[in-house]
Amino acid sequence: MLLVKNLKCYYGRIVAIKGVSMSVRKGELISLIGANGSGKSTFLQAICGLIPGLEGEITFEDVSLKGLDPPAIVQKGISMVPEGRLVFAPLTTLDNLKLGAYTIYRKKLHKYVKKDLEMVMELFPILRKRAYQQAGTLSGGEQQMLAIGRALMARPRLLVLDEPSMGLAPLLVEKILETLVMLRNKGLTILLVEQNARAALKISDRGYVLETGKIVLQGASSDLLADVEVKRAYLGKDYAEFYEGRA
Amino acid sequence: MHNLSPEERTQIQLERLQSTLNRAYRNVPFHQNRKNRKGEAIDIERFQIESIKDLSNLPFMERKHLGEYYPYGLFAVPLRDIVRIHTASGTTLNPTVSGYTRHDLLVWQEMVSTALTASKITAHDILQINLDPGLANWGRDYKDGAESIEASVIPNTHLSIEKQLKVLKDYKTSVLITTPASASQLAGHIGSGTDLNPADLNLKTLILVGEPAGLEPRNLLEEQLHATTWLHYGLSEVPGPAIAFECENHKGLHVNEDNFIPEIVDIETGELLPEGETGELILTALTTRAFPLIRFKTGDRARFIQDTCSCGCPFKRIEWFEERTDDMLLINGVKVHQKLILLHIEDALGFVPGRYCFFKSQQGETSCLEVWITVDDTLFSDEIKALEKLMKTVEDKLHENIGVPVSIRLKEKHSFQNHC
Repeated sequence: MLLVKNLKCYYGRIVAIKGVSMSVRKGELISLIGANGSGKSTFLQAICGLIPGLEGEITFEDVSLKGLDPPAIVQKGISMVPEGRLVFAPLTTLDNLKLGAYTIYRKKLHKYVKKDLEMVMELFPILRKRAYQQAGTLSGGEQQMLAIGRALMARPRLLVLDEPSMGLAPLLVEKILETLVMLRNKGLTILLVEQNARAALKISDRGYVLETGKIVLQGASSDLLADVEVKRAYLGKDYAEFYEGRA
Repeated sequence: MHNLSPEERTQIQLERLQSTLNRAYRNVPFHQNRKNRKGEAIDIERFQIESIKDLSNLPFMERKHLGEYYPYGLFAVPLRDIVRIHTASGTTLNPTVSGYTRHDLLVWQEMVSTALTASKITAHDILQINLDPGLANWGRDYKDGAESIEASVIPNTHLSIEKQLKVLKDYKTSVLITTPASASQLAGHIGSGTDLNPADLNLKTLILVGEPAGLEPRNLLEEQLHATTWLHYGLSEVPGPAIAFECENHKGLHVNEDNFIPEIVDIETGELLPEGETGELILTALTTRAFPLIRFKTGDRARFIQDTCSCGCPFKRIEWFEERTDDMLLINGVKVHQKLILLHIEDALGFVPGRYCFFKSQQGETSCLEVWITVDDTLFSDEIKALEKLMKTVEDKLHENIGVPVSIRLKEKHSFQNHC
């Protein structure tokens, strides 16, 4: 469904992503894990058209995403839940959700919006209670639910999430991740970027480990969960200390 | 990866290759300091393989490197992640040491079970492993792989041929894993040395490993042992058996491309050869964590078989030839480097003999390494017993280090003219 080949992203002269290849197949839940500064968010932003001047190939359902702007990519079927939620604080919960359906309105498919709103409210019942409350007044967990709900309103075929567990209490993290599993079970394809490696790998089918802009490990999540290298890559420790004594 | 489209499989291979290289270049000084095939230093930060074809820009890894970085210099993970250490004779006095993480062992188990399953082996089979001490590592891998498909395994134990036959008959072994040489030895023994009728055996599958076997000797074995033969290819360095295996069609060996990328290169120039031409088989490991082999020169002569196999297995097939591209001797499936034999002789004698030659020979039913050494002033002794004792010491040393039976013969100079 999503194929990324040799992706390179730059911030000025700094290479943040150094030739990453990855694939997401239809119906999979894929996690991308790594330490702070490893390039996870940059990678997601590149997929969503937020990074200019990238090199390499990104194709979604056999169509190249290169050069497309974010709205065009959303129209192709990819929705992003950004790091830190980024809800529109002064707007109500309902308006935030409707804004998520921007591309649906543009396609004159208004009839779907009401149905989708109902689906999101069922998924996160708390949002129904907060429908007319300003989004900025919601708790962190509620804002995260809103951010996911808003992304779903665009009717994506691939949902990408950047650190959905960030700053949330463990119980809420569990709830958010359970929701992702539920969405995957309904057929939605998901690419999850997480620092909470254990939590992400527990729910995903396959995983990739990113370290300083390069993929250093990939495989079935169950294998990665048991892998001692993952812990080190995730913690970002210096490898040199592990090689003392080698001839 | 059997259910993936060719494009998806290529993508997964590229992802595995890139992450293997990223780990190797990050963690192994040997790889960090290497130059590409044009002789230019590799900029690790900017270095990138963008397609499987780009692999051919990388330098080869050779057997000599495995000895030079003895014991742990080529490991790509910390020692505390290693759960098994294997030793194989190399090309120098230092043996080849390879390590395995827990993940690596699982990968090998899966590779072996894939190959065994392709040979129709199931949980209903009783599988006996009979390999020389030089292939003991493979014995362990076959045991693990066979156990994972729930076959009943009789692990590799060094037994006399009579005992092997007794086990084969009494335990109702249905699958025997052995080398072509040992299988011939067994068949020969049944034919001449016993009153055992092959029809009394339950044997139905003979997995031949360690060395290639031509059609004629295989047909003979099948006739003598009343079993179907299946050929497996492996490396003693990684180690692993079952890197390539035959399917039900028996038309070439499928290389397990989930875990290895095969290339065939010109023996002289090292350049990639067009599909179908015969050259040296080069292997790159895609999933090995502890001991990544990158463009490893196997010394085996092979060619790709171009047409797709009707069995449905998507892996490329190779035809594996008996002649090697190097001067290694294959004795009972164990690769023996001639330079290494000489090094051990020099180590035992304290000097290099004036003339010498090594070849594979048959002693009764056993294949062995035969070493001829010239008797000259440096070696001559008027005490025959002392000379015999010295030769016994050399034999034992060679046997211990190489893992195959050794026979040393002292010869006069003129004997060499006709044989070596």
